[in-house]
Amino acid sequence: MKRWFYNPVLASSLKTRMRGWRTAAAVTAYLGVMLFIAYVFFKISFANEVMHYLSVSANRSVGLRVYMLLAVLQFALILLVTPAQTAGVISSEREMQTLDLLLCTKMSPFSIIIGKLLSSLAFILLLVISSIPLFSLVFLFGGIAPEDVAMLFLFYIITAFAVGSIGIFYSALFKRTVVSTVVSYVTIFFLGIVSIILGVYMMSLHYSQLPRPSDYYVPFVFYINPTIGLSDLLYRQAGVTAPNPYYGILALLFGVGWSSGSPQGWFQRLPLWVANSIVMSGIAVLLLCASAWIIKPYKRFRRRS
Amino acid sequence: MLVVRDLVKKYGDFLAVDHLNMEVERGQIFGFIGPNGAGKTTTMKIIATLLAPTSGQVVVDGIDVFKEPIKAREKIGYMPDFFGVYDNLKVMEYLNFYGSAYGIEYHKRRRIAEELLELVDLSDKRDAYVDTLSRGMKQRLCLARCLIHNPELLILDEPASGMDPRARAEIKAILKELKRMGKTILISSHILPEMAEICDNVGIIDRGKLVVQGSVEQIMQRMTGRTAVRIRVLRDMDRAISLLKEQPMVTGVIEEDQELEVACRGGDEDLWQLLRTLVSSDVPVVSFRKMEGNLEQIFMEVTSDEEVVL
Repeated sequence: MKRWFYNPVLASSLKTRMRGWRTAAAVTAYLGVMLFIAYVFFKISFANEVMHYLSVSANRSVGLRVYMLLAVLQFALILLVTPAQTAGVISSEREMQTLDLLLCTKMSPFSIIIGKLLSSLAFILLLVISSIPLFSLVFLFGGIAPEDVAMLFLFYIITAFAVGSIGIFYSALFKRTVVSTVVSYVTIFFLGIVSIILGVYMMSLHYSQLPRPSDYYVPFVFYINPTIGLSDLLYRQAGVTAPNPYYGILALLFGVGWSSGSPQGWFQRLPLWVANSIVMSGIAVLLLCASAWIIKPYKRFRRRS
Repeated sequence: MLVVRDLVKKYGDFLAVDHLNMEVERGQIFGFIGPNGAGKTTTMKIIATLLAPTSGQVVVDGIDVFKEPIKAREKIGYMPDFFGVYDNLKVMEYLNFYGSAYGIEYHKRRRIAEELLELVDLSDKRDAYVDTLSRGMKQRLCLARCLIHNPELLILDEPASGMDPRARAEIKAILKELKRMGKTILISSHILPEMAEICDNVGIIDRGKLVVQGSVEQIMQRMTGRTAVRIRVLRDMDRAISLLKEQPMVTGVIEEDQELEVACRGGDEDLWQLLRTLVSSDVPVVSFRKMEGNLEQIFMEVTSDEEVVL
């Protein structure tokens, strides 16, 4: 049982990564940036609000806003840091010619992939966990419960897992780290930005049909967009019951009304961020299996002659 | 211990390994010799379960490596021709890491690692970072790594390449010790005289084909009466090559570094005839010398167009 949990790649990477000053410096820099931005934001907002209202609700709204800011900031950093952490793990093993050495041990390709992913995610997790005290500041103002922060962090981990899997997949697919890093960022850009435009376009096409449909329609690209999931989660936590703000903003821009009708089936009834997490996790698992298949020396449908 | 039957590896239309057959007895050191790109590394990678062949069979200690690669890996220790290092890893941790990847218990692998470091004479470097070691030391560490799971067959791809004579002598001494311990070793190299010294059997591979296979003595006997000469000409290299190829005693010509390596039959009388032909045809010969060495001669012979059957 103990062997089952033990992954040599993970154990070794954790040890070497934490060695030296680099990781400590990276965590310090990360928290420093977050703290600085939160402080400036807090200072400006609090001064304005207190001057004008001097009330408990002002405190609450400042707390909520600082929380939202930190949540979005941390999320953006995860999206930016994770590909850099994962997009080189397999290709650099190939470049250093150590992948063959790993493959001829008793470790399966899948456990090599998982070990590599977890060791990269461990760093992200360290960043996220070290930011907990910073997030706790918002509890001073109220409006946000510890469960909300826990849920947010769960979403962070799922996102890092999904984005990390994309990085690993490209790293296994492409021989060179530079190529896999660039393609990973392009994919993240597509998932985060292009998919919204595509989704809104799909909605506008759907609802422009005649006679006008009145069903509940969420374009599938919204399920693979982690930013949609985050905004859904944050607005739920802020107690805003209106549909996802993306729909609202983009409805203004593109003249698209948001989904009408009521959700059908269990999947549509799920909160959007949960559905989003499920779809992203599913894709991540598929990508990890594909990565393991790519690095496997003997492919199953190998040609025999 | 190792049987390779009718091994073929194709990359598109290119035949990297061409119906290769070989056999290595238990406890033997088998030298795999061939020019660059002859298919040595491809064959070794296939045996080490890292590359799927197009067809053929490889059996290691009774285990078909394509049917049961995981079981076969326990029997095989593979050392590639390039030493990959992880940053930030110490010598002991390096061995410990690969030991754990082979599923060896923590205490056991620590003990094995200590023993192996002693074998490769790196005990005093156990806490040094791997990337600070010299090339020779890294190579020895790599050798220790492929021994961590106590394999019976060692596949060493050019273990002495790019090393100074002292480091090569150290590797050779370790290989002799491993042979004494009963390991079977398949070793590739292009440093031919050294192979003759440590190998029981050699196989010469050229363009994916194993053209000669047998004991060093056997091959030497077969080759008696054959010579190789190195000729330098001032100009007219192409004319010299075509002239040499026309001569009945010449069996192979290779152009290398502005010099010609010529394999020919016969003794000194024939060499004199050859030189006379060149000079009388106005080929500006500036140097003409008989090549010393033994396996090099054979190598020259068999990597020419003619196939040698022993």
